[in-house]
Amino acid sequence: MAAARAAAKQVTKRNFPEALQELAAHLKECDYVAVAALKTGAPTGWRRALPVDTAETAYLKAKLAAESFQPLHIAVCPFRFDATSHSTVVAYPYNFHLFPRDELQLGMPSYSFSCQTSYFSSMARDGFDFNMCIYDGISYLSRVQESLARQKIFIPHLRQPSPSPSTTVADSVFTTRIKSRIQHWRKGYAEPSKTADGSLVNSLRKLILGGESYGSRPSMSIDVCSDRQVQLVLETINRVSDDLVPLVVPDKAGMSRAVRVIFTSSEEDKNLLLMDIQKLEDEHSVKFRGFREVIDLLSSSQKPIISYNCLNDLTMIHTKFIGPLPPNMHEFTCSLRMVFSSVVDVGHLWREIGPLRNAKNIQAALSYLQRQYFVPMEIEIPQQDGTNSVTKGGENVLRITKLFAKLSMLLKISPKHQSQSGEQHHTVEDFCNIFYPGCMAGESDDVDCTKEPDITRTVSTDSVIFLWGFRKTSAKELRYLLTRLHHVFSNDFELRLLDKTCSVLIFRSSDTPMELLREISSESPSLNNFFSEGLKAAGFDVYWKVCRLGLWDSDLAEALEAVSSEQATSALSGHGTSEIYWNSSLMLDIKEYLEC
Amino acid sequence: MQSSRRLARAPPPRTLFTRLYSSSSSLLPANGAGDGAGSSRVGGVAVKQVTRGNLAEALEELRARVRDAAFVGLDLEMSGVTSAPWRDTFELDRADVRYLKLRDSAQRFAALQLGVCPFRWDPAKSAFVAHPHNFFIFPRKELPDDISSHEFLCQTTSIDFLAKYQFDFNTCFHEGISYLSRAQEEEALQKLNVLYHDGIASPNTSEEEDVPLRSTADLLFTERMKIKFKEWRDVIISNPRMDNHWLECNKFSTHQFQTVFFKMHPAILLNGFTSHQLKLIQQVLRKDFKDLMYISTFGEDNTSEKRVVYTDDSNDSVSLMKDLQEDLLRSREARVKSAVGIRHVIDLLASERKLIVGHSCFLDIAQVYSKFIGPLPSTVKEFALGIHKILPYIADTRHLMSASDSVQYLMRQKSKSLSSVFSLLCPAFHSTVAEPSTLSPVRIEVEADETMLSCFASGAKHEAGYDAFMTGCVFAQLCDHLDVKFEHLPPRDNLAMNNKLQKYINLLSPSFNSGTSLDLSTGMERPDTGYKRRYPTVLYDNVVLIWGYQSELRPRDIKDCICKVFGPASVTTIFSIDSTAVLVQFSKQESVNDFMDLKAALEKTDSAISVLHPLSTILEGGKTRAANYDTYRDICGSSVSKYFFADQAEAVCSSSKSLLKCENIDAADTPGVILNESILDETIPTSEKHAGGTKNVSKKEDDSEISCQDILDALQDGKALFDKRTRST
Repeated sequence: MAAARAAAKQVTKRNFPEALQELAAHLKECDYVAVAALKTGAPTGWRRALPVDTAETAYLKAKLAAESFQPLHIAVCPFRFDATSHSTVVAYPYNFHLFPRDELQLGMPSYSFSCQTSYFSSMARDGFDFNMCIYDGISYLSRVQESLARQKIFIPHLRQPSPSPSTTVADSVFTTRIKSRIQHWRKGYAEPSKTADGSLVNSLRKLILGGESYGSRPSMSIDVCSDRQVQLVLETINRVSDDLVPLVVPDKAGMSRAVRVIFTSSEEDKNLLLMDIQKLEDEHSVKFRGFREVIDLLSSSQKPIISYNCLNDLTMIHTKFIGPLPPNMHEFTCSLRMVFSSVVDVGHLWREIGPLRNAKNIQAALSYLQRQYFVPMEIEIPQQDGTNSVTKGGENVLRITKLFAKLSMLLKISPKHQSQSGEQHHTVEDFCNIFYPGCMAGESDDVDCTKEPDITRTVSTDSVIFLWGFRKTSAKELRYLLTRLHHVFSNDFELRLLDKTCSVLIFRSSDTPMELLREISSESPSLNNFFSEGLKAAGFDVYWKVCRLGLWDSDLAEALEAVSSEQATSALSGHGTSEIYWNSSLMLDIKEYLEC
Repeated sequence: MQSSRRLARAPPPRTLFTRLYSSSSSLLPANGAGDGAGSSRVGGVAVKQVTRGNLAEALEELRARVRDAAFVGLDLEMSGVTSAPWRDTFELDRADVRYLKLRDSAQRFAALQLGVCPFRWDPAKSAFVAHPHNFFIFPRKELPDDISSHEFLCQTTSIDFLAKYQFDFNTCFHEGISYLSRAQEEEALQKLNVLYHDGIASPNTSEEEDVPLRSTADLLFTERMKIKFKEWRDVIISNPRMDNHWLECNKFSTHQFQTVFFKMHPAILLNGFTSHQLKLIQQVLRKDFKDLMYISTFGEDNTSEKRVVYTDDSNDSVSLMKDLQEDLLRSREARVKSAVGIRHVIDLLASERKLIVGHSCFLDIAQVYSKFIGPLPSTVKEFALGIHKILPYIADTRHLMSASDSVQYLMRQKSKSLSSVFSLLCPAFHSTVAEPSTLSPVRIEVEADETMLSCFASGAKHEAGYDAFMTGCVFAQLCDHLDVKFEHLPPRDNLAMNNKLQKYINLLSPSFNSGTSLDLSTGMERPDTGYKRRYPTVLYDNVVLIWGYQSELRPRDIKDCICKVFGPASVTTIFSIDSTAVLVQFSKQESVNDFMDLKAALEKTDSAISVLHPLSTILEGGKTRAANYDTYRDICGSSVSKYFFADQAEAVCSSSKSLLKCENIDAADTPGVILNESILDETIPTSEKHAGGTKNVSKKEDDSEISCQDILDALQDGKALFDKRTRST
């Protein structure tokens, strides 16, 4: 694939400020932004999204993944359709290398993170440069962390004197004293002494006048003990001379401790100094925000975000760059909307095209489109410089770009500002904010688009039973065992192993599971065989509780056991039922969540 | 200052000290010539770098070196040290809690480098000859049927710290050597045996379900295959004498069908079919060709090879199957053996029974146990005895330092970090330090294999191989201070047998601030005599763990609140675990239960007392929980990992049966509560005497003025009364 081979700009902390400016410019002229992240791992076993998950439990699992793993690499690619030919997409891919270095020594942004060796191995195979990432990766703080950090770390800053109210006697005494001190000190520099003093005298004078230096410029510190005094000092300095620049120096608690007065030799010198101070402040902001500047840019640009496996990537973006993830899906979607108003999952988009519904990943979808449809699409990457190279993450973001471009041709989606009236056009808003929790394990490059019959169906959580306590066995054997144990298992049901300790049974109706659970809770003798096999069962509410409590550290059976034994008394208390999309890649619609 | 104070709490002993002092001591060894002689001041030390590629040869060489060695230096670099700030070891941790914290670290983090440095005594040179080795480790998944998740934690500061010392992560993750612990190997072999005996390992799964022929393409494909196989079989049958010539000129050989011989049988190697097509082929063979077998095997580079094999009769096919199964078992066993990887090094050290020397090496040893032996046991005693069985002689230079008076004198006011001890005791390796050479009486040489220079690198601080070398050097000098003489040491002799060293070996300090050392041979922990404690000894029965209070509350505030109720001298110490939890030690053991009871009572009643009671500051928010020290232990031992202690405690208590434990202590439903309620009832009339209008009072005393002091007095009375009553019962 020619497009995917094309290079993306590699960004580390060395070239971050320049890249950020470039990106801002490119964002402005583009219609969409594709985003893809490369993480240190994904949950395994029953902790990954399973077909039995409802939107809510899928969110909880995505939350777990977002909180434990670390993005090492985020690819951002603003793109637009070429104005002259609609079969050309102009893209500006950037690969940002991240590392959560504790730049401010505050234990932020992340104390520790999990890694999966299989992820590292495959990254290594793809030629990922771990040294570059760890040595030079860009750090960041989330919005919430930044505000925490700002309460703890203070730097000297400029402050405008605010018009002060009436002055008291004490104030005027203070002012006079400060004024004479400053004037006396300033005279030493502003009016060069007539006699040519030796260096010894100069340094003695420095000592006596309490002078320090700020860079190459002379300065002095005036200790203050209140904000009021800061104001007075600032005003005094203003009145003394224009060639003095005051800097407010805070202490560790953020209270002003001193005002530093810096003497500048001329107007130009003063401007230079002000620019230096500004630069210092900017550098500090970079330390505070780091890569998050990119997220803030994306957010303020209001361009639709195009991504794949949105639930995973956006929970990750939320927890790393916005703030801690809320406890439920509804709050998450509300919070996310404040940051990104429209997010499009290409996975959802290709499900709009019937035959593509079973595509397992981007590769499969792309190759299907290639074979079955005629959608010429070229990706043009104008920026070229020495730092470009291909990485897996960069490849992915270009694939997303290409796929979205093709799909939007097929679905007649036009960018917001270009939508012509007359013709029947969709806008991107029609497809945004609908997430598919990826229930495919891992991102395989398998292009094999096997045609399975579409057996997606909606199942009520009431007709789901979790079963555990069996010995190591296959699904087939277990099924056979069950049919001999109790008559409810003679009904038609589907059985899947969720991990090595637990399986799930899906019944046609919700009556059978209800009956079974009732009999279990009343320890009905008809279940003696069932019990003596050591089998246990529980309804969906127990599973949901396991997810809510976050009992991720154990096998599913163990977790279900812990919750159900505790819940024994309150069993069968009617939780609201919800629906799962059994046997399909599940779909969650954010809009649905926002309305409830 | 702020940052160094933070560091002083966060990272563990070794990282801590090196980090605090690394800036002050610019003692990085200068890069110099390969083999540095002990007497000359040459900084560079050749360290052999071992990765996947050269493990086998390095092992052979190392085996000989270890056999000749007097002792072996050992060091590990890990991906992190503590999984949360509260998991740092504190001085006042009880031994079992400290072990649980260290166990958590050893289990969660990965070992990234293993440094092994054998030291051989050369009587001719009267010097030690060292061979530093640096092994890169990466816990890759090596066995295909291994379903355990290979996940490890990275502590950001540790990784960043390694990066500062130019740790090569690419080599580590690309070329690192994987491993299986003894327990994992045993399990894998057992699984193989079961598979073999059950015959499930058969490469040809017999009971296949029929694939419905869904499309015309499938039908056509099936027919085509039928014809093809029939033709091929007919040729073989009509042509019983086949040789290589037949192979070459066979007209059936195409790209997809490659005629080959497989275990002396004519066969076709299938190439480039989709999995669906392969299924169809199997179906064709099953239905129409009894004498053709479909066999899938794994080739050299782990790619599966599919073949159709012709067998003469059923006997032939049975023996072929058996042959195949044995092949499979052998290849799988070989794979398990190769997956053992870096553990061979530990096995080698164990079988040679040499003295192992580490510096502050408790965590390293725990890592060795957890990664290469098996899951860490639940008690420190089991751990000690377990490791003692495998590595019978371990010496900790940190412990030796505290044992020698002359060294203690030398080390006064100095950092105990490895690099600073090294620069002090072995100045010869530091070109920058001009100490009198008398300080380094034991000569040490580094020997590098001239022929293999490519895999040598000049050692640097915080590379496991170089650290192992430094540890060994320090050990040699310390031995000299302890009056262990090497002059008469026969070559190849194990230093572990030396009489003068006996009382120093197998004693490890669990952490730099434990003030104890663990005797590995007995599993008993005893206090170190030289250690100066910052806190008085803790009576763990008097300790209450409190968490979940409002975040703005400082430990001092909590102490004040408690002192208001229980008297100014009631609290011996208050120790903050992190910003969300404290341990409070009462001076009297009764106070623990009194506090719990009072807390429970206050939480139950909704009166003015519960609002204005001094303890209400702590209880505000309604999420404050308290428990005894054993619950603290359980929380530390849990596999849950949260950043804040309060979150951890909540998670542990809500998930496990320890929930009951916490509740038991909290809500004492025994007479205590009833008594307390009555106390509160009694105090209310006292307060009612005063009129007034406090806002937050309950229905009873709407128009009574209660000053705080009054309530306090009342409660003090009540408390005294309560004390009297409980004592009388």
